Amino acid sequence: MSLLSVDNVTHRYPTTTSEIPVLNAVSLEVEPSSVVAVVGESGCGKTTLGRLVVGLAKPMAGQVRYEGKDIWGLSKKEWQMYRRSVQVVHQDPYASLNPGLTVEDTLKAGLLYHRVVRRRDVRDELLRLLRLVDLEAGPAFLRRYPHQLSGGQRQRLVVARAMSLRPRLVVADEAVSMLDVSMRVSVLDLLLSLRSEHQLAYIFISHDFGVVRYFSRGGRIVVMFFGVIVEEGPAEQVISHPRHPYTFLLLDAIPVPDPRLARRRRSEVTSKAEERVTGEPSPAGCIFSNRCPFAEDRCRAEAPPLVETMPGPDHRVACWFPERVPDLEKIVEETVQAPTAEIPDGLAMRPQDESARERTVDNAPSGGTFAPAWDGHAVAGHARAAASDARPG
Amino acid sequence: MDDGGPVVEVDNVTIRFGPLKAVEEVSLSVQMGEVYAIVGESGCGKSTLAYSLLNVVPPPGVVSAGEVRVRGRSISALSRKELNELRAVDVAIVFQAAMNALNPVITVGHQVEHILQAHPDVFPTEKEGREYFERLLQLVRLSPERIWGAFESRLSGGMKQRVAIAVALLLRPKVLVLDEPTTALDVLNQRLVIDILRDLHDTLGMTVIFVTHDLALVAELAERVAVMYAGRLVEVGTVEEIFYARRRHPYAVALIEAIPSVMGARHIKSIPGQVPSLLELPPGCRFAPRCPLVRDDICRRVEPSLLSDSGHHLVACHVANEDLQLENAVAGR
Repeated sequence: MSLLSVDNVTHRYPTTTSEIPVLNAVSLEVEPSSVVAVVGESGCGKTTLGRLVVGLAKPMAGQVRYEGKDIWGLSKKEWQMYRRSVQVVHQDPYASLNPGLTVEDTLKAGLLYHRVVRRRDVRDELLRLLRLVDLEAGPAFLRRYPHQLSGGQRQRLVVARAMSLRPRLVVADEAVSMLDVSMRVSVLDLLLSLRSEHQLAYIFISHDFGVVRYFSRGGRIVVMFFGVIVEEGPAEQVISHPRHPYTFLLLDAIPVPDPRLARRRRSEVTSKAEERVTGEPSPAGCIFSNRCPFAEDRCRAEAPPLVETMPGPDHRVACWFPERVPDLEKIVEETVQAPTAEIPDGLAMRPQDESARERTVDNAPSGGTFAPAWDGHAVAGHARAAASDARPG
Repeated sequence: MDDGGPVVEVDNVTIRFGPLKAVEEVSLSVQMGEVYAIVGESGCGKSTLAYSLLNVVPPPGVVSAGEVRVRGRSISALSRKELNELRAVDVAIVFQAAMNALNPVITVGHQVEHILQAHPDVFPTEKEGREYFERLLQLVRLSPERIWGAFESRLSGGMKQRVAIAVALLLRPKVLVLDEPTTALDVLNQRLVIDILRDLHDTLGMTVIFVTHDLALVAELAERVAVMYAGRLVEVGTVEEIFYARRRHPYAVALIEAIPSVMGARHIKSIPGQVPSLLELPPGCRFAPRCPLVRDDICRRVEPSLLSDSGHHLVACHVANEDLQLENAVAGR
């Protein structure tokens, strides 16, 4: 049995005027001590999903089940146990800690309320928690206030607070996106070590596939676009063989920490790209169709269901033409070659670029006349123009 | 001064906040039309340095030594009126979390009108100023009809960041300074901001100076890079030198290795420890307590100086500069 399951959940905030729900028929399963990463841009509903999972809001339709039971039908005792077992780490450690409480008060509240340890053992438990998250475990540190801590220390304290209740599932909502690069890695490593030592499951919410790749090895990735799951599968596979154009777009957008490769790819970006980045969801057909470079009439008319796709198993996508999305492996190959000294400077990259494009064409999957379009987004414009020409009338 | 020389020069600048030096003896020079990155973790003094370029270091901070020159003129010598001119026409800044910089109770268009009224000599008529702003909105990939009459609450974080960039460009500055332009944006909006800044440089020839902790952003955009640690410069060079040279500062290397990427190696490394308090600096090299290459005999005793190779690639590290010093010694003999 799954530890937690989200079953066909639809949610809309009563204050929004928009017709499009924040979450639309979303389902996912979290097994004990597994990682499910939820990826998408700002506003795609991933934070709302997290709120529903921890019971901060009740879904309008569908169910959130903890150990098989709908959380909104639990007895008072079961509810307390569930709230204790599912903890959350928010994005902003400057907002999620009470500035008027010391480290000690912050950690103690939950311990006492849920009677995790006996009152006389609280002190030892506090020090144990601080050690657990690599904070200075001493009485001086317990007396500090949040404003006396650095961003990284605050986020560690938030993690300690979550861990104090011995949870089985932690929802980490953009838990490292506010931190400096160097701090980011150490907090990720901390969360990973807690996972293996305490059989903890994570729902890891992030917009950054780089971070997700590092954190969710061996886990699953769920890609959301405006409240809809568009792709879902084993982490490695989704990153190296994305099957939804939106997943590819997210992967492709990540800044590359390699100047030569970044400049080589620069020529591939055209003025078309921004429409894809900022466009509204499509009101009819596939929700991504008005931002998609491969969209055809069918996409604009009929929404694709989330179904199993190659290379499987357990890899699902909501797209009529998943075979047109190129693998990321090609880019990975290029990166590996890039840092050699054969390219004298950033200007001599055009010829190389052409050959890269040809290679993609050679390897294009069947039916993929449009597949190379991702190389130069401009080509997608032609594809779209051709499609509209074909329309009757 | 538009002869292609340095447009911004920072000459041996020290910025003090009471007893602590947030920036210490920093010199750099930015050429006209260059994209220049200032890199480091929080607490390295990089934002403070950026503020000094417009003389907007928040009190009690003061530039206690050295000077900043913009187009050859020392900005500390400017009158209030001249300083206003500098901020309007020469250098503009987009502050960190610029999405929170818009006034929530008046429309974007209203704010732009305020700016145009405060600087009536930049455009012949207000109408022309407004038309110029609409062109800028297109440049930052926003639709003028949608933005002009909008309150900030109707805009997403990414849109607000781009509006802030357009507003900064309104008075046609020569230099645009951005403090953490992509922090707190999702990857798609980060990509947009990168494309916009590239456009500014490639098509308008704008000089762009940006401050960041993200070396991936540096790789995408910068031509020259200055790496700061605990208030001091530790490395200055071209982006190629920072990423590929054999002689590099271990701090710059560590910042690059800390980036989680979807490409290449999955292994990433954190930098142990944290930036030291500027009031309790360690003896010797400031990075020594966190450095994987530290040598007890010298690094913890002597502060390394910023040494240049023949190509003006500056590094302040005893270990990295060892060969260089040997070469210099041989050459001098």
